[in-house]
Amino acid sequence: MALTLSLPRASTVTDEMVASVPDLEPDELQRLRERVVSELTPLAAELPEGVRLVLDGYRYRVAVRAPEHCAERAGPFIPSPAACRRAVGVVAVDRCLRRRAAGPADAVARVLAAGVEDAQRTEDGDGVRAPWWARWYAELGPGGRAAVAAEATTWATQLWTALAWERIPPPVVVGGRDDWWDLPGQRLTLRSRAEVRAQVDRRAVLVVVVSGAPDATSRSELSFVALVSALAGGARSAPGRVLGLWPAAGQVRVVPVGARALEVAADELVAATATWVDALIEQRGRGT
Amino acid sequence: MGVTMCEAASAAPPGQGVVSRLRGTSAERPEVDAGLAGGLRDWLEDGLSEAVAALPDDGNPVRVTKEAVNQVLVCEAHFVASRDVARPMSIELARGLMVDALFRQWITTGDIADPWEDAVAALAVSSDGAEMTAFLSSLGADARQNLRGELATHLERVTSSWPHPSPSWMARTQERLIVPLAGGQVVLSGVIDLALGTPSSGRASVCIVEVKSGRRRIEHRGDLHLYALLETLRSGAPPFRIATFYTATGELDVEPVGRDALTSALHRVLAAGQRLCRLHSGAEPQRTPNPLCAHCTGLTACPAGQKRVKEAAGA
Repeated sequence: MALTLSLPRASTVTDEMVASVPDLEPDELQRLRERVVSELTPLAAELPEGVRLVLDGYRYRVAVRAPEHCAERAGPFIPSPAACRRAVGVVAVDRCLRRRAAGPADAVARVLAAGVEDAQRTEDGDGVRAPWWARWYAELGPGGRAAVAAEATTWATQLWTALAWERIPPPVVVGGRDDWWDLPGQRLTLRSRAEVRAQVDRRAVLVVVVSGAPDATSRSELSFVALVSALAGGARSAPGRVLGLWPAAGQVRVVPVGARALEVAADELVAATATWVDALIEQRGRGT
Repeated sequence: MGVTMCEAASAAPPGQGVVSRLRGTSAERPEVDAGLAGGLRDWLEDGLSEAVAALPDDGNPVRVTKEAVNQVLVCEAHFVASRDVARPMSIELARGLMVDALFRQWITTGDIADPWEDAVAALAVSSDGAEMTAFLSSLGADARQNLRGELATHLERVTSSWPHPSPSWMARTQERLIVPLAGGQVVLSGVIDLALGTPSSGRASVCIVEVKSGRRRIEHRGDLHLYALLETLRSGAPPFRIATFYTATGELDVEPVGRDALTSALHRVLAAGQRLCRLHSGAEPQRTPNPLCAHCTGLTACPAGQKRVKEAAGA
């Protein structure tokens, strides 16, 4: 559902975020879980020996948008300012929310400085677990570090100014843990993440920040986030809605999460999983 | 919003500060016409509808950037020739990218230790900087020394003109703008060097700054108007002011954003968008001989351009 935005936009988006959420019956969630397990299990059983498939938002997007790329071997991950802006940015926005920084730029500077300290303490064997980007960042010179700070500041400022934070009922989690769900007895894991999580009417509301502009597959990608969160939630209820924010395009999409939406998301998840399983079998067949 | 005029170019007075010229006071900021952005979008969608209807169903959108607008409006064949050729590395391009990196560093951190080292380091971590860093490494000692000197001069203009922005200005560097039209079949896009100000809550509040390390050129103002249009379509509110900062001289051209600027940008986008759609549909590019033909990468395959160059040489 596309949202028609009036000014101030942060207020309109927040209205949508905190609007009342209908209940979802626990047995509907249980039925969904059983269905997902029964349909994914035979697919996962076909995975080549020794291969574990972690189907995250990125891989889901590739399966939906460009399935022909699934069979290609992914290159090595290379850290860059763009690659770590989200990781730094969410911690910075969390600092802003807790009034521990004067604004996104200040918050980013503090997060990066803390990352350097953590990287040093990790190296010293202090038992501190530094964020994944910290060691790479610590080894950069001033110019490289500034590029990282600039990229993260722009990202954090976009999220910080996108919502009327004071109107979101606490507790609000910025960043937080990803949702993980292991298919029982198989080598298939689902993983999704949201930038902001709040609680409305005892159901979670998730906000996902996406680069680029929304298109025909955006609803499916937001529904994937909702489904994985629902599966990972165990006894907790499924999220009530997912908001997708596209800061570069100034657009917002809202996916209400009812039983029917989760059923459709499950159909799409099964199709995406099948695409990846086939691609991994093909990769193994080619010996790559 | 009435007719607006570009302020006379002037060296930014360091004491007075560029930011006050950009941000002005809240009383100077006009109220946003709530229907403006929607009206502009409808205008664009209507104007492009015929051209979009003829597009092939290949899933590739027609991309409208400031470079594409400028090139295709000068000559369609020039646009096609430029599109198919990789951007050549040059001292001018290197200076531009390095000055951009240093400006971004200055705005973000307020600190630059070694202009050369910092700019190279920034390029080295950027996703598309490898080719440029290789080019810089290949420079001879004299060329490198000259470029170092140029960088120092440009940086001096930046640091003497720009204060480290207050947190309340919400400075964003290299902010991407994307405006999909016609269901995403046409995508307008741009990257703003610097945006200042919080999103509008009813009054125009954002300032957009383009940084130029080269000389003043006629198309710079059109580029800014395009960005003003994109920002209006994206955020629902036009920017308050738009500006070009020339790092070679320290000049800052500031312009309030009126309806005229937005509609002139819209007309250019429409004209360019229609041409780009036509080319995307496989039409033969029209050739428009012009004074830039001598510099066109497609000159060897363009009799009309060659004739233009010969005539110019003989004149």
